[in-house]
Amino acid sequence: MMKELLKELCLADGVSGDEGAVRDLIISKVKDVCQYSIDDLGNLICFRKGRKAPKKKLMICAHMDEVGFMVTYIRSDGTLRFDCVGGIDPSVVIGRRVKVGSSRISGVIGSTAVHNLSKEQREKAPDIDSLYIDIGASSREEAEKYVFLGDCVYFDAEFAELGEHCVRSKAIDDRAGCAIMIKLMQEKPDYDTYFVFNVQEEIGLRGSAVSSFSVAPDFAIVLEATTAADIDGVTGEKRVCELGRGPVVSFMDKRTIYDKELYRLAFDLATCQTKTMIAGGNDAGSIHISGKGVRTISVSVPCRYLHSPSSVIDMSDLVSSYKLVKNLSKRIPLL
Amino acid sequence: MDLKKTVTELAEASGTSGSEEDAAGLALSMLRQFCPDAAISGGNVIGRFGTHVEGRPSLVLDAHIDQVGFAVTAVTDEGFIKVGNIGGIDRRLLPAQPVVIHGKSDIKGVICSTPPHLTNGRTPVPEISDIAIDAGMSRAELEQIVSSGDTITFDAVCRDLIGTRITGGALDDRCGVAAVLYALELLGGAETAYNVTVIFSTQEEVGERGAKIGAFAVDPDIAIAVDVSFGFAMGEDETKCGYLGSGPMIGVSPSLSREISDSLAAAAEAEDIPYQTEVMCGLTSTNADRYAVSRCGAKTCTVSIPLRNMHTPVEVIDLTDVELTAKLLAAFIKEG
Repeated sequence: MMKELLKELCLADGVSGDEGAVRDLIISKVKDVCQYSIDDLGNLICFRKGRKAPKKKLMICAHMDEVGFMVTYIRSDGTLRFDCVGGIDPSVVIGRRVKVGSSRISGVIGSTAVHNLSKEQREKAPDIDSLYIDIGASSREEAEKYVFLGDCVYFDAEFAELGEHCVRSKAIDDRAGCAIMIKLMQEKPDYDTYFVFNVQEEIGLRGSAVSSFSVAPDFAIVLEATTAADIDGVTGEKRVCELGRGPVVSFMDKRTIYDKELYRLAFDLATCQTKTMIAGGNDAGSIHISGKGVRTISVSVPCRYLHSPSSVIDMSDLVSSYKLVKNLSKRIPLL
Repeated sequence: MDLKKTVTELAEASGTSGSEEDAAGLALSMLRQFCPDAAISGGNVIGRFGTHVEGRPSLVLDAHIDQVGFAVTAVTDEGFIKVGNIGGIDRRLLPAQPVVIHGKSDIKGVICSTPPHLTNGRTPVPEISDIAIDAGMSRAELEQIVSSGDTITFDAVCRDLIGTRITGGALDDRCGVAAVLYALELLGGAETAYNVTVIFSTQEEVGERGAKIGAFAVDPDIAIAVDVSFGFAMGEDETKCGYLGSGPMIGVSPSLSREISDSLAAAAEAEDIPYQTEVMCGLTSTNADRYAVSRCGAKTCTVSIPLRNMHTPVEVIDLTDVELTAKLLAAFIKEG
């Protein structure tokens, strides 16, 4: 059941600043169990009544946006110049299918045929500047019938099952977190809880800065997908975290030093792993220093090939992360 | 014939060089509609078209049925699949590329991509020996399904672009196969100038090996290799490319027969079919290179469909060019 929910969420398109389709899908799943509002940036703030009203306020959040691109120019030959929205490695951009704009026109990001590359060119991934999106138009006039400057561009990727446990998709970062929240909201929590679906995480933790100010929680649980490097040829601490070993709870990343009591509580409650390198950052970075300060923990699903159209997670980690968050929400000292 | 459907079905079949069974089986079933006794011989799909009349010159229409890909070389203790390449692969686009592993059953996977914290944000272009495929399984699970020598292709489906253009993997050279099939349909039961045999040949991408034995077996007087060639796009040398949508590219080369090149051009002009001239100053790197020097030799030419992003999962063609290629082939075969 979580797999179906994750699939539906991942296949929705929502590049930063353009999260409407994802938000509408989430609203359709939670509207009967909560009171919700949408703020000026597009954050979806849901209040879920629990069995008890706590003294302290708990916020659980995830971000709705995904990395992608925007059309910045239409060339005279009908190809589209584009730029990245969020951090994307150029080597996961060439040779991919994309969808452009609100009518989701199909396009491809092509590259010079390998036959025609010099020895040096074959060894270097091209810069984004030298790439183009080909929608099949042969002139600017033709392309302009279908595309507008500023149109968002989404990876066109299938949601596929890999083996018994794993799935491969775009946008697992952070629809995995959204899926956990929807599942939590569908059960009545012990305590009243704010569930917040944020916008614009990938371009600098923008949505969460605003929503955490307006909710003004005492405690926050940030749900994420984080880089796992447990791949062939990478050993020891450089793996950072591994698939199939449960939720990732960090003591520190590039944006946040986490609340120590909450960190220890997570390890008391479940088999967790921590990151073996101080890397990455997420909405916790803006949340923990919001207002008077927020005691914050992040729970992440380990994810290979993050920010690519072929991210991979182990579904068992999604389930164990959900269980951990559920237990945390009962045990965080809210009374 | 629904040309787009034919191209799409062929392009979505799998068949790396030496393992063409899936694609060749599909092409055979399509060819039998026009050549009822077509069969697979030495891997190649071979069919005689219409009545062969003694004394008429024999002509082969060739398109290759294979595609580039990978072969499984090993499975690591952790369950990652190591590979070798089959044909020319652009290594720059491999990280995080989705693939299908053709084991006992087809399973999905993805080529491992090293995350930015280990590369300072810029993934180096991997050597083939460095790449590994993640199928989300343990070694024990994989060994039930995958063996050394199994093949791997890009997980690419076809998509419509705007107008008459489409994208997909293996359009090189399944669109050529479709053009040949459509040419046969256009010919119907018409009188032809030649005894026509169709060969959908194997192993072009590893050195035109299927065409070598196909050419020997059929021994034609004239051979036309229907393949793809470089379609102009940003980053390509315009002087060495054809344009998408401007019609088939007729080859001119010292290794090809100028007589056939000229006849093809004349047929195009007579029928008002737009065409482009592709000048190559030596060999053509197509099956034409094999037909020309098989047995006592054959008068050979290339007819190519312009294609962008060759050997990638996002090859792009204009279906108009496939249609015009078929019309050109039909006109040439009818008139001689």
